[in-house]
Amino acid sequence: MNKQLPTVLAIDTSCDETAAAVTHGTEVLSNIIWSQAAAHADFGGVMPSLAQRLHRERIDWVIERAVKLGGVKIDMVAVTKGPGLAIALEVGIAKAKGVANKLGVPLVPINHVEAHLLSPLATPKLKEKGLKSNSSPQIQYPALGLVVSGGHTELFLIEKIGKYQVLAKTQDDALGEALDKAARMLGLGYPGGAILEKMAEKGDPSKFKLPLPMAGREDLRLFSYSGLKTAFYRLIEEQKDLDKQTIYDLAACFQRRAFEHLIRVIRKTINEVPFDSILVGGGVVANKSLRKILRRSFKKVWFPYSPKLIGDNAAMIGVAAGLKLGGGLLIADLKPEEVDRKPRWSVEDL
Amino acid sequence: MQIIEEKASNLQKIINVLSGGGLVIFPCETVYGAAVDATNPLAVKKLSVYKQRPLGKPYSIMLPNQKEAEKYVELNDTAKKLYRQFLPGPVTVVSKVRAGLTKNGLAAGVASELGTVGVRIPNYKFLLQLLFKYGKPLTATSANASYKKRPYKIDDILENVSGKQKQLIDLIIDAGELPHNEPSTVIDTTLDDPTVLRQGEVVFSDQDTILSRSEDETKNCGKELWQKYDKYLGQRAVVFALVGPMGVGKTQFTKGLAKAMGVVEEVVSPTFNLEISYSSPGLGASLDHFDAWRLQDGAELENLGLSGKIHDKSVLVVEWADRVADTIRKYNEEAVLVWVKLGYGKGENERTISWGVTS
Repeated sequence: MNKQLPTVLAIDTSCDETAAAVTHGTEVLSNIIWSQAAAHADFGGVMPSLAQRLHRERIDWVIERAVKLGGVKIDMVAVTKGPGLAIALEVGIAKAKGVANKLGVPLVPINHVEAHLLSPLATPKLKEKGLKSNSSPQIQYPALGLVVSGGHTELFLIEKIGKYQVLAKTQDDALGEALDKAARMLGLGYPGGAILEKMAEKGDPSKFKLPLPMAGREDLRLFSYSGLKTAFYRLIEEQKDLDKQTIYDLAACFQRRAFEHLIRVIRKTINEVPFDSILVGGGVVANKSLRKILRRSFKKVWFPYSPKLIGDNAAMIGVAAGLKLGGGLLIADLKPEEVDRKPRWSVEDL
Repeated sequence: MQIIEEKASNLQKIINVLSGGGLVIFPCETVYGAAVDATNPLAVKKLSVYKQRPLGKPYSIMLPNQKEAEKYVELNDTAKKLYRQFLPGPVTVVSKVRAGLTKNGLAAGVASELGTVGVRIPNYKFLLQLLFKYGKPLTATSANASYKKRPYKIDDILENVSGKQKQLIDLIIDAGELPHNEPSTVIDTTLDDPTVLRQGEVVFSDQDTILSRSEDETKNCGKELWQKYDKYLGQRAVVFALVGPMGVGKTQFTKGLAKAMGVVEEVVSPTFNLEISYSSPGLGASLDHFDAWRLQDGAELENLGLSGKIHDKSVLVVEWADRVADTIRKYNEEAVLVWVKLGYGKGENERTISWGVTS
């Protein structure tokens, strides 16, 4: 183990998931997520309710597991400071301060979106079987970063680790949110993004006509799903019979348009910026057809190595801390009491 | 611990083990699972020890068909639709536990603390036979200890559990290596419960209506309504309670309102964050944008710090306000409550927007 870098205990309670992890550099030694839904039910959460109390009840157990499975002495604590649900963030930050104080180690704040952005650089535990080499993808900067989740749809220019510029963002819904809402309109429950994907696999994506959002206005660098949502509502209303195949086709059409729009805005935007690779993180990466269309559209596309790094998790928080430390970046001597929640926090002002 | 083959002649043996509170490792169409009788508290406790997970994290249950499922959960229209479409199959549908279910009901720790439980009807013949014959729900959870490798063969399990855990396994049904399918998808239908949606019908006392023909006109309506009520700023909070179906333009309305208030930041949908705060430097006022779509009830709106945000320099917009109408009405004294109802009109881009103030 490279002793230059500290081992990090990372904590994330930005939304519904209670998460803790132990990392070393980009290596994930443990990654514990307590989700109300199963770990693979992605995009957004199931239970915004009681978030704070539930986090409080679970956090000790989650941290204990992460530390035990990590199996190393902790040199530093990293915690999500924002963005996220304020009452949820508080729980993780308070706990992180307590742990850092108790261990007498520094506490560093991490931006949740930056962590999603860097999550493709995480690497599995060295000891895990069959793994000989264990290096992060070799990225030439500047690179592009795309974060697609229930709460975020943003395209970034990564000038280097720690320095980012927002190239495009949503002006209404996040992609994951739009997929969830489309599923809800079809009467499929919540969060329905994953179900919508299953339906879409059996549907004909050219069966119905749906408008392509912002067509011809891609240079505004805005993602938008409001018009698509409205058209979808009308389209569903027009159907006399919502039989199985019709639902499959509707799902396929919505999903295809939503992804096409994403790709078109990215294409238009990157015409004007130099980049080598594109890093993609966030819950919607779980969607296979999104991964496929991204791979088809761009040359070097990197996704996180494990599904557990796709949804909200703490390993990515630790990895972000590791990468920034590796680059000599971090504000590592921050006093625990100085860390306070920041529900809205752009990665442009880190 | 005993390992047996998957064959009909072993069914009775499996049932005996389950009836005795035993833990059985079983194959299905996703991964190897660990089953106990979901109505037996001791057995469920044993399972939690095996899974190394604390009490309080709920388990899904397996049943052979919808009819049996309805003995334990209340299925709303959304749930019924999902059952029709996907079950039997690798989808777990979360519903409310049937009211009054006590006798022979689910053991503590199976349902969530909100009184919901996930139901799965496996698409695996042997398992369905077992469930039919057993007549009671079994827990559906993967056989790995929490956070370990997905078990597609018995060795995946045995290599990853401790000796102590192994001792807790009473029986293993070995069906060889299973096809590497994904675990089941979990989906919650309880947000669609009519009981939740019915809460607090909105009554308009004095009411105006306009027709909007585009997103821009909807934004403009937000602006005009702000100008109509901005006189209260400095005296009382102004709450815009928005009601209307998906995609009708609630966020568009708020964009227009925010712009008229002098908010510079881009207003986006608050669905995921539940609440987003903006400020209007010019007016020295705050704009808090809430979304009640994912909230279970009004108490959750309070948990988000509603009362602290109601003061004489604050403006609030609450989307899906009908879900939390009773809570909003409580602030009738401290705030001016403007109810805004948005609906789809006849023409493609048309919307009707009505508003009224509760007196």
